[in-house]
Amino acid sequence: MSAELNAPREPVREPVLEVVDAGLLTTIQDLGRPGLAALGVAPGGAADPLALAVANRVLGNARDAAALELTIAGPTLRILATTTIALAGADLAARVVETGERLAPGSALVVRAGWMLAFAGPPTRGIRAYLAVPGGFLVDDVLGSSATALGAGFGGLGGRALRAGDRLSSRRAGVVAPARWPGPVQPDSHSIRILPGPHAARIGEAALANLVAGTWTVSPASDRVGLRLEGGALPGTATGELASHGVTWGAIQVPPDGHPIVLLVDHQPTGGYPVVAVAITADRPRLGQLGPGSPIRFELVDGEAARAALLDQREQFAAAERHLAELAGWDELWESTTG
Amino acid sequence: MTGDEPRISAFGDGAVLVELGDEVGIRLARRARLLAGAVEELRAAGTPFGPPVPGAASVLVPFDPLDLTPGQARTLLMPLVGSVPRDPGAEPAATEHPIPVSYGGADGPDLEPVARELGLDPAEVVAIHSGTAYEVLFLGFAPGFAYLGELPERIVVPRLATPRTHVAAGSVAIAGRFSGIYPQRSAGGWRLIGRTDVPLFDPASEPPERFRPGDRVRFVPR
Repeated sequence: MSAELNAPREPVREPVLEVVDAGLLTTIQDLGRPGLAALGVAPGGAADPLALAVANRVLGNARDAAALELTIAGPTLRILATTTIALAGADLAARVVETGERLAPGSALVVRAGWMLAFAGPPTRGIRAYLAVPGGFLVDDVLGSSATALGAGFGGLGGRALRAGDRLSSRRAGVVAPARWPGPVQPDSHSIRILPGPHAARIGEAALANLVAGTWTVSPASDRVGLRLEGGALPGTATGELASHGVTWGAIQVPPDGHPIVLLVDHQPTGGYPVVAVAITADRPRLGQLGPGSPIRFELVDGEAARAALLDQREQFAAAERHLAELAGWDELWESTTG
Repeated sequence: MTGDEPRISAFGDGAVLVELGDEVGIRLARRARLLAGAVEELRAAGTPFGPPVPGAASVLVPFDPLDLTPGQARTLLMPLVGSVPRDPGAEPAATEHPIPVSYGGADGPDLEPVARELGLDPAEVVAIHSGTAYEVLFLGFAPGFAYLGELPERIVVPRLATPRTHVAAGSVAIAGRFSGIYPQRSAGGWRLIGRTDVPLFDPASEPPERFRPGDRVRFVPR
């Protein structure tokens, strides 16, 4: 493995922020590298891709510009160059130490060189927040993405979580007029809409029925790879393991002990456990906001409802983008960064 | 030969899973590889599928839920399944990969326990493992991790009951009918019988993966 690849590159510009305390898990993410499963590469990227896109669009960035994903306990950051930052996703209680000013998800703030940004917590409305800077953070692309592949050790900042002393640059210097996302701030619903999985019949009807009827809690043994659920074991024909097959984000697997696993964004591309159900694509952002202790329930829907939910989500997002462009008076700049 | 019973099921709203049968082995893995190739041809011709993901005996075909429904995907894929040969031969122009391996000792901590389980000498296990040319069946689990098949029956052992949390990069492993090499340090449940220094995945290279489905791999004891 080439050593240069994992060493942070010399920034083209002066750094815009420095990590004083890294928080629980802070990583550089974008919308991932979704087409490489046949190479054994997880799609990766933001666990709540909608929130990452919101934080970016508030600054006029491309939706998939590199941003920071913050988890539960946010980092403490020293601002090194005056800029505008935007936040979206869960509310980790961000505030500027010097002024006491708070920054709510869906909004942006000009922050001055020398200021410190801290996150008091506790997180509300989810567990992950996204912090964007103008143009996105400046990191090398690996396999077409700035996302950090933690397990594999590449991408983002050297394939690892941020730590104290790290300095990051933005692709655009200076400030952007602060704006506020005019759409709904992501609600953290604990209800996940699902479709029957390819092995539902093989496992037996009782398993799917129990999944939907059950009250589940996300176990502490959960991360970006998947959510392990507490709340009982699903009954079913002991199918054991199946031949390894491709799986997707949102797949709900039933391992031998019956405790469901919901795959998230860093899932292994193939798996052998039977898949009893799959969360609808529109609910992936909801899954990305569930963490240890979160309650989670499942609701069985059909294909039409799944499609309608996704269409609605995308149309709402596009409408908010257009509204923001009008409010902010951005035209050419906006167009040049759409994508 | 058992009849193949292909199933095409919805995998959520954004993919379908084409399962080619239950008998895990080279034949169905080859069918899966050829089917994935046929899907790639459809994609090149404009069908809105995402890159297909071949498995041991299946292909996952993703798509944007607003481009296709699983039912429409199924209709497009059924004839393709029928068009793949039932018993494909080996890839004619396959790349051969000789992989030097340091067997046993600290490089292969499971070699002796595996040998004992099988009632063989460690040297016999090494001879049997390295005496077969394997086919790269599919990639999964981790970047560049290739499932190699088929392991000779005499050295088939199950996975560890409790996976290791740390497996050294380059570890050569066996489990069930497969052999494999862990490209990076990771958790792992397969039996570790040796180690190689050959890099298997470099994101900076084009292509990043060393092994491609259809290639052949031969282990060479050092």
